[in-house]
Amino acid sequence: MATAKDADRVRPALTLTKEELEVEVPEPRLNWMNQWREWGVRVRPGNKGLTLGSLNVGLYGEIPMNWPDRSRNPRGAIGVTGTPPVAIQIKDKVDLWAPCAADLYEEAIQRRWAPATDVDWKAIHPLPEDIERAICQVCTEICQYAIIDVEVITSWQHQMAYGYHEVKQFLATTTLDATRRHEAFRKRALVNGGGLGYEGPCQVSRLLLESSGGWTETVTGLILIRALFTQVMIRYLNRFAYNGVERKIYECVTQDFARLITYGVEHIKYALAHAPDKQGSILTTLAIGFRMFNRDLRDPVLREALAIVFGGGIAGARNEGMLVFYEMLDEYVQELLDACQYLRLPVSIEQLPKVFQKDQRHSAEN
Amino acid sequence: MDQQTHNGAEFELDLGWMEKQGEWNTHAEPSKNGLTLADIQVGFYADTPEESRNLSGRPRGAVPRPGSMPIGNYTVRTKSEIWLENASFLYEEALQRQWSSATDIPWDTIEPLPDDVEQAQCQMATFLTEVEFVAGDVPSRWVSKTSPDFYEARNVLMAQVMDESRHMDVFRKRALVNGGGLMRATGATAGFVGGIDLARDFTEMSSRLHLSGEGAVLTIFRMGELMAYNDAEKAIYRLCAQDEARHVAFGVMHMRYMAANAPERREEIESYLDEAEAGMLTDAANPAGQLNQTSESLSIMLGGGRKYFDEGFRKLVSIRKRQLQEYQKRVTSAGFGDRFKNGRSRLGQMMANVAN
Ligand SMILES: [Fe+2]
Ligand SMILES: [Fe+2]
Repeated sequence: MATAKDADRVRPALTLTKEELEVEVPEPRLNWMNQWREWGVRVRPGNKGLTLGSLNVGLYGEIPMNWPDRSRNPRGAIGVTGTPPVAIQIKDKVDLWAPCAADLYEEAIQRRWAPATDVDWKAIHPLPEDIERAICQVCTEICQYAIIDVEVITSWQHQMAYGYHEVKQFLATTTLDATRRHEAFRKRALVNGGGLGYEGPCQVSRLLLESSGGWTETVTGLILIRALFTQVMIRYLNRFAYNGVERKIYECVTQDFARLITYGVEHIKYALAHAPDKQGSILTTLAIGFRMFNRDLRDPVLREALAIVFGGGIAGARNEGMLVFYEMLDEYVQELLDACQYLRLPVSIEQLPKVFQKDQRHSAEN
Repeated sequence: MDQQTHNGAEFELDLGWMEKQGEWNTHAEPSKNGLTLADIQVGFYADTPEESRNLSGRPRGAVPRPGSMPIGNYTVRTKSEIWLENASFLYEEALQRQWSSATDIPWDTIEPLPDDVEQAQCQMATFLTEVEFVAGDVPSRWVSKTSPDFYEARNVLMAQVMDESRHMDVFRKRALVNGGGLMRATGATAGFVGGIDLARDFTEMSSRLHLSGEGAVLTIFRMGELMAYNDAEKAIYRLCAQDEARHVAFGVMHMRYMAANAPERREEIESYLDEAEAGMLTDAANPAGQLNQTSESLSIMLGGGRKYFDEGFRKLVSIRKRQLQEYQKRVTSAGFGDRFKNGRSRLGQMMANVAN
């Protein structure tokens, strides 16, 4: 191994041909040397290793509110100018930033998992057909959510400015998380004598894919509606899991979701703190989102499948299972309202469609 | 009609969906590597359509819901446009080989380097942190436009985006860890016609990104031992090379599938290769290319300092040759080897000019 001490004498061998040894060497220009904005940086690894966030020292830690540069100049480097831009549209920090992105990025990497090998698939055992059908249906819908999550996030990533690389990098972990989620639930559906189910309804997904005007608005639907609901659903599925295979998947996916939700909530918080006028479009997105969600929930498929899982079969679904389903929905609503309160978003339960209101549910139109 | 209330009576269930589920009685069996994507290619669920009509994000094999809206923004709906035979394998390998730039690199082994070498390392790290994520931004955008019926290929690309994210940060970390800093960016991945960003076709993009661009970088990372001054740098190049090998494999395997299954597009692909070859040594995205900023810093790293520049440059020339040879092997393996025999490829002339 060459070290600093012998840097100028020891180089590993690369056998050059006679011809190569005789190559005429041009005089180097070296005009790139001694060109920097800040030199002498020595970030040392801490107890979590050398983390992305720890690099934010001195000039390298200055993250401006606007990054007009539409090239791939790294933050803190001397940028090149005069090159044709790439398709970067999000150039304001307020439109994507969350202060926790760098930490979430490193956490995602530390907590990586592989459905193929981290789940003990051999431990699965046959279930009664109604339960297997219900689980496979739930898996199908979670797969579909994950597919859409991937498409939503990937359609934005390349549009984000390089000055905010922490967010771009964190989002790369979320799309791999969603890919793995699709993979894990597909595997669960195909491993135990079942198969995939019936396609889920698409209104919330449509909102997420079509709100292509603003990332903050996309995050609003993606996090406060889709991810938060799925997270609560998975928590309930874990509580009623039928085997260790499912429990393991739910636990890993829950961790993945926690990071996505943290980013989303913290981004909205940052956006509202620095651009209070965004509140209007966030509230409107939520209002439209809940109408879409209400339409999706009118469809009985997911509800019945979950009730069968929670109730231990079709018979149990007709009472206990369905009660647990609504308890789950109430828990979601509570978490949503808590998040809105944290974000100081004036959202109250009365504004939500009746299916989300425990007291009003009985008068909901079917 | 279902009922949503509970007034003492039982809830009514519809349960019609139970009759509408996909092919049943599927028993995927785990293999020695766990339950892999290859293991779940069973029965009906293994079938990938030649043309995807799935416009609503439905998992492949689920039963379509009549009335679903075409919410997916898919321009890639033809299998041959994106498919490769070993996607399941590449994806599972990517998951098994994820690593952490925070904790898997022995950063403590880095000690102060002579100023010229540190500058060269930092210039190369600046260049790499700049260009690594083009291979994140671009595949990511293509995934958003690809039908989920081809999810295996999408999965490999998503793993690539994660890999590139890590590459982007490991080189930033290298630049800021040893008394140096970031230097001057190169603009190597700007929106030039013929650039990776602007490709309108997936295979065109893949030929530029996976085959020529990442292929050239892979050759260099594999020579990492020659440019590393400590175990940390060795680990960086070794781990990045492992990742790049998968990315390049995607390109080779995709092109091979294309060659075998879409012969009508052969001539078009030959012209992508013409273009890729023309840029191999002149393109600023090749760190061993002719841009002096990168080629000089590489030469200093390879030589062992400014005063051994000549030795380093001669090694660089040898590496350029190796890049061209490896490229030729990959293109041949992809099924386009004829171009090296029938005079279409200019690789022979380029080989003679590597020192320029
Ligand atoms: Fe890379
Ligand atoms: Fe790569």
